[in-house]
Amino acid sequence: MRAFPIAIVAACYLVVPVVLGSNDYILSLVIAALTLAAIALSWALLGNLGGMVSFGHAAFFGVGAYTSALLAKDLGVPVFLAMLAGGAGAALASVVTMPALRLRGPYFALAILAYAQIFRILANQMTGVTGGAGGILSIPPLPTVFGFDFSSKLGAYLVILTLLVLGILAYKAIRDSYWGLALKAMHDSEDATRVIGVPSTRLKAAMLVVSAFMAGVAGAFNAHVIGFLEPDYAFAGTWSVIPVVAAIFGGYRTLSGPILGALVIYLLDQLLFKTLMPQGHQIMFGVLLGAMILFSPSGLLPLLTKPFARFKPAKRTPTPEKRHAAAA
Amino acid sequence: MPLRLENISVRFGGIAALTGVNLEVADDSVVGLVGPNGAGKTTLFNVISGLVRPTEGSARFGDTDLVKGKIHNRARAGIGRTFQIPQPLHELTVRENLMVAQRFGAGRIDPSRIDEILDFLNLTHKADAQAATDLALSEQKALEVGKALATEPKLLMLDEVLAGLETSGKRAFMTMLARLHREWNLAMIVIEHDIETISRLCQRCVVLNFGKVIADGTPDAVFRDPEVRRSYTGTGAAEHA
Repeated sequence: MRAFPIAIVAACYLVVPVVLGSNDYILSLVIAALTLAAIALSWALLGNLGGMVSFGHAAFFGVGAYTSALLAKDLGVPVFLAMLAGGAGAALASVVTMPALRLRGPYFALAILAYAQIFRILANQMTGVTGGAGGILSIPPLPTVFGFDFSSKLGAYLVILTLLVLGILAYKAIRDSYWGLALKAMHDSEDATRVIGVPSTRLKAAMLVVSAFMAGVAGAFNAHVIGFLEPDYAFAGTWSVIPVVAAIFGGYRTLSGPILGALVIYLLDQLLFKTLMPQGHQIMFGVLLGAMILFSPSGLLPLLTKPFARFKPAKRTPTPEKRHAAAA
Repeated sequence: MPLRLENISVRFGGIAALTGVNLEVADDSVVGLVGPNGAGKTTLFNVISGLVRPTEGSARFGDTDLVKGKIHNRARAGIGRTFQIPQPLHELTVRENLMVAQRFGAGRIDPSRIDEILDFLNLTHKADAQAATDLALSEQKALEVGKALATEPKLLMLDEVLAGLETSGKRAFMTMLARLHREWNLAMIVIEHDIETISRLCQRCVVLNFGKVIADGTPDAVFRDPEVRRSYTGTGAAEHA
């Protein structure tokens, strides 16, 4: 069963560049879709694994973007290093939001939303650092390394693809660990997990930091690709809403669902809805989401995999030793 | 590593759930905690396991301060508990429930110990079943005990673990609890309404009523106490005792 995902990743690295390498327009759409997929994946780390629905990932995306852009532009930090620092900046910003971890369900979602607004206001007001509403122009692009220009469409595609693959590996590693088991258990019975020794608040905080880091790196990447930033863009509600829509549309509480959802929603929007409805095409997100909830509440992924379910080999039960080895 | 509670009081707004409760549990003892509904038994368990912070009083388990410490540290300190309504860890199998409890509660990974617990609780055949959906009530209750055992407790607190079981299931469970105390060398506090269970299992019985300890002694002596009979057991219990 591992062969299929590996084949997809290999195709993304080898086939897509050959097929789409000369089509900058399509490639730029794919880059944007993968950027959204990376944010959706970062959201899923918190939402799927941590059980906390965030409406404020724009905060981490924006902080990551500004941190990286400022470090690269004003201090001359190499762009790839600045992108990592962008992730670290977002992770640091997530520490400020940690009081919200005391809240549950919709209260947590709303508190995080408020934090995103606070960061947007700060970016607007701190003109000396961020340039205020005027934003930052001429952000250094992705660099050329060993003669390969990462600022080209193909280069940027390979960078965001690699970031997404690393994110998937991190998600999988956490999900398959004891932390992942405990996080899964915490969704419905937090008290029951705490009395058996699970440090639930610490686990949730760790997930928030990892999720923020990933969203921050995605934001940093985006800043260096588009070359400019302004607060209303970097902290736009889109960065908070799209991951939620993508996760529900693609398949909530799965690894591939949010990624698939982000890719399908964005590409449909740009290639179809925008052509049919130049104004207000975003309304189709709502229509799509409503239709998916009505006809396949588990999302697109189960809908796609259902026809192949009968060809799936019977699930083998792993031995206790294998289970422990996987979770350790 | 004895449990020592001194003058524990808990208030929920204007309601006194516990008032000045003193309780000591020695290393090797099995203490029954009885009382009518609303007497404060589960609240006392919640205080010991950290889910409720007492309004006043002190609570220690060996060197561990139970008033100030974090909830998850109780398991590492050696306190295990079950819930009155079983709370299996959702979306996990029976074995995974125990694995999480062992990893975080005992701080180690030992698959053979998990197998031992599954075997002891007759859950081996359900090891890969979904804990929340595929277990009968008696199996869910066994899993509650299993999770607590996987944390390697020194004190096991059982909250109405026999409630809802049929007579034969109760007997089997009681035998299992007696073996637990004997073979696993655990101190236990048992909340139970069934007087026969308390009499057979516990060397000592503490009676709570309206949040206060009204009797503390051997089960026989306690169930003969006129105040206990008046407040809780009734004449039927007195006959039994």
